Amino acid sequence: MASRYDRAITVFSPDGHLFQVEYAQEAVKKGSTAVGIRGTNIVVLGVEKKSVAKLQDERTVRKICALDDHVCMAFAGLTADARVVINRARVECQSHKLTVEDPVTVEYITRFIATLKQKYTQSNGRRPFGISALIVGFDDDGVPRLYQTDPSGTYHAWKANAIGRSAKTVREFLEKNYTEDAIAHDNEAIKLAIRALLEVVQSGGKNIELAIIRRNQPLKMFSAKEIELQVNEIEKEKEEAEKKKSKKTT
Amino acid sequence: MAATFFGEVVRTPCRAGTEDEEEEEEGRRETPEDREVRRQLARKREVRLFRRQTKTTLEVSLLEKHPCSKFIIAVGNNAVAFLSSFVMNSGAWEEVGCAKLWNEWCRTTDTAHLSPAEAFCVFYHLKSNPSVMLCQCSCYVAEDQQYQWLEKVFGSCPRKNMQVTILTCRHVTDYKTSESTSSLHTPFLKALKTQNFKEPPFCSLLEQPNIVHDLPAAVLSYCQVWRIPAVLYLCYTDVMKLDLITVEAFKPVLSSRSLKCLVKNIPQSTEILKKLMTTNEIQSNIYT
Repeated sequence: MASRYDRAITVFSPDGHLFQVEYAQEAVKKGSTAVGIRGTNIVVLGVEKKSVAKLQDERTVRKICALDDHVCMAFAGLTADARVVINRARVECQSHKLTVEDPVTVEYITRFIATLKQKYTQSNGRRPFGISALIVGFDDDGVPRLYQTDPSGTYHAWKANAIGRSAKTVREFLEKNYTEDAIAHDNEAIKLAIRALLEVVQSGGKNIELAIIRRNQPLKMFSAKEIELQVNEIEKEKEEAEKKKSKKTT
Repeated sequence: MAATFFGEVVRTPCRAGTEDEEEEEEGRRETPEDREVRRQLARKREVRLFRRQTKTTLEVSLLEKHPCSKFIIAVGNNAVAFLSSFVMNSGAWEEVGCAKLWNEWCRTTDTAHLSPAEAFCVFYHLKSNPSVMLCQCSCYVAEDQQYQWLEKVFGSCPRKNMQVTILTCRHVTDYKTSESTSSLHTPFLKALKTQNFKEPPFCSLLEQPNIVHDLPAAVLSYCQVWRIPAVLYLCYTDVMKLDLITVEAFKPVLSSRSLKCLVKNIPQSTEILKKLMTTNEIQSNIYT
């Protein structure tokens, strides 16, 4: 087992593992699920809302955060680590705008976050950030982007991905259901995100939060009513599909 | 007599014995007040055994009232979680008694209103087979209360034809070994049994100079004296709070003769255990 090589971040094990980084990925799995979908003209971020305590103000428990007007991210993992990363990313976005007079590209800010995370995997006395992030947005060229970063500091572009608890289940659902048709229309992409979350979220639409960015438009957070509407539509479509199936069999 | 730097005169310690022994004896003599305080304290720390449903105290010891052939005792939150998920979910268990006790470890000084989590040991028996008894003890039983607990539960003359299994946890820093501590794969199980326990245990025996502490030690000693076959499974862990991996470390015990017939659905038990963990975590804001 890992005991000898897992205490210090700067120590490799004989078979090449950085155990602290792998343990940080376990911390990510303790956060609730987040899903990101890249449509043709829209990017969607959906998250499973964490159950809040009775006396807690719900608005202060946020999983989707805007980094700039045209970029936003969702995270899974250690709340405090996420706050630090988001703050640094937001400062970097403004600094870039002031220096270069252009807003950051989604890839630039993703690379910044990933580099920051990697630094903490190679520093003495520090531990890796225990979060994975899904970063979405539109660049100036109008192309939608979705990136995912993880505690090791790697980042990749995705068409659709999920992080957090039950991410595997959601990813498998997306692999089966993500088609060019499914994401051709904005509404379909939104429904796909909700359907993916409903696979793993208990008690349905009440526990889902959704945010979208359309080309040349700012971030839009869905209200609970709007999500409920979408969930009802999805359920209707499900029922109709089942009716058709039963008709075919008879 | 000697003078200190500050001018106080103090008695120098004398190895030959104290000169003014009379004075000291007066100080040692108990006043009625002392006696009363001592009596009140003893009353506060009394171990009471009663039935929660009827709120009546048990007149005889628990095992005299409910003789059993198998007695499984879980001491500590991880052992209790293990029994709750793996043993108690398969079959209907009926509460037959509860031991209420107060000591300085309880977070409240109000002895009248103690919460179950703080100060109770709950005893159950299997409805379909009342000779199987279970004890869930998540409170701390102090040294002076252990004897009372044993008297009230086992009685002064216990039956010998029963088998006792005790499950408990201890922090791995208490484990003494000549091996390097980095080679220890926590959590791990160690067993300690009485002379009359003939079944081979499911893990290696606890080596010297390690000792068992608290209530599990008291129960095991009691069983050794009364020649009752008993085995203690001690899980050394590095996480003392409720932890999934520590609870699962008790799994080998499920194949023992006492527990084999009580365990029915392991996948379901694992689900119940996960739920137990998440209900504890729900108020935590560390992960989002």
